[in-house]
Amino acid sequence: MKTLEELGNYYNTALMPELIKLEEQRKQVLKKVCLVDGIAIALSIAILSLFFDMEVPTHVIFFGGFIAAAVIVGIYKWLTSAYVKNFKSGVIENIIHFIDSHLEYKGDACISSSDFIKSKIFNRQPDRHRGDDYVAGLVGKTRIEFSEIHSEYETRDSKGRSTYQPIFKGLFFIGDFNKHFKGVTVVLPDAVERLFGGFGNFLQKMNASRGQLIRLEDPVFEKEFVVYGDDQVEARYILSTSLMKRIVDFKKKTGKKVFLSFVGSKIYVAIAFAKNLFEPRVFKTLVDFSQVVEYYQDLELVIGLVEDLNLNLRIWTKE
Amino acid sequence: MIILMVIIAVGVLFFVGLYNTMIGKKNNVNNTFASIDTLLKKRYDLIPNLVSTVQQYMEHERGTLTEITELRAKAISGNVNENQRVGLENKMNKLLGNIMVAVENYPQLKANENFMQLQRSMNEIEEQISAARRAYNATVTDYNNAVEMFPTNTMASVMKLATRNLFEIPEAQRENVDVKKLFNQK
Repeated sequence: MKTLEELGNYYNTALMPELIKLEEQRKQVLKKVCLVDGIAIALSIAILSLFFDMEVPTHVIFFGGFIAAAVIVGIYKWLTSAYVKNFKSGVIENIIHFIDSHLEYKGDACISSSDFIKSKIFNRQPDRHRGDDYVAGLVGKTRIEFSEIHSEYETRDSKGRSTYQPIFKGLFFIGDFNKHFKGVTVVLPDAVERLFGGFGNFLQKMNASRGQLIRLEDPVFEKEFVVYGDDQVEARYILSTSLMKRIVDFKKKTGKKVFLSFVGSKIYVAIAFAKNLFEPRVFKTLVDFSQVVEYYQDLELVIGLVEDLNLNLRIWTKE
Repeated sequence: MIILMVIIAVGVLFFVGLYNTMIGKKNNVNNTFASIDTLLKKRYDLIPNLVSTVQQYMEHERGTLTEITELRAKAISGNVNENQRVGLENKMNKLLGNIMVAVENYPQLKANENFMQLQRSMNEIEEQISAARRAYNATVTDYNNAVEMFPTNTMASVMKLATRNLFEIPEAQRENVDVKKLFNQK
């Protein structure tokens, strides 16, 4: 891992020219956004108040307001799209190469929904799967890929209107695991046992959709996570005492909900984030070191998984 | 009359439940013990290969290698009881550990492709054996809890089931961990 000082040097030398160029573009985009969206907002208010005066039914006004908001957001996205694209290739890609020059970056790609389903971390099938900021490559001996994803499922209310409920939003990581194995082992955040204690344990055992409950001997790990799998021995072969400790440490480091699974000799890690990651600011200046540090830390968190979970340790038959 | 029959039926069901729980737990313990056994056998299969690869290089460890071969023969002969078996395993762990440490003195052997592969396989088996032991301990704890806790303890005493001992990780096994660390430093 690189130090903050190294990042500072990189920021001042390599990143600064890019940031200054982008800052110019940001100012122009901001002017356009203020002008065009300003007009759109003013127009919408005018039309809606006219509707109001004409005593148009309330639901029509609501509908009109909804369309106006969609148009305003659409205009904003359209106006900023070129700027966002330049920002990703100019700043995010450079920070990734600063962390590890072997990694490839695609700003508009993401981990596919089939890989997401394959991980078996989440039971629900996604109906809407989006994402961006895809990174892939070899870190030491370990092949990794990750991206930001936002997966949702559809629900319909009694009137047949559909809404989307979140399954997962955050960073999704796939890495080549350093041991061979055949079965499925899933490690989930443990909410039930912490709330209900022994009774929670009983509830976990009853969760048939997940396979066998695997009780591990590390009490700190057991408090944070619940493990399901189809083979008691294999789950312990994967979750060695040292890996359990490393997973707990990683969870503490992120301060987020962390989900893991081990399927088909791969490790899947999902880290839940509420915010949209690696997006540029439009209303505030880009030339700000603390902002770059934030991008760096979020990226380093995932790329550092290889080191944090010791995936480059290849002393078993898998090379 | 009906009430009496219901009470009897519930009682019988309750006892059947307890009985089946105990049998299930006992079988789980036996299953996980069998998985340790399978892995130990897998390790025996590797030993002749290891000995034949290593002996061309290791002149000073001939005695140890012969001893390993003899131990293996004894262990797979089937003429040993469970206690003797554990003794043999412990001795085997120690000798294998010695060999792995001695490898450090033979740079040519360390670079040997075949040996490197064997070493990886040995590491893997060791890790699997340790996983199987942990699984065994988990099922034994579950079983022992059932033997000692109410109401399953009543059924356990009727069935004459006693608590079982946990697998203690032998001293030699702990030394092995250090050996692995040693290899990682290269």
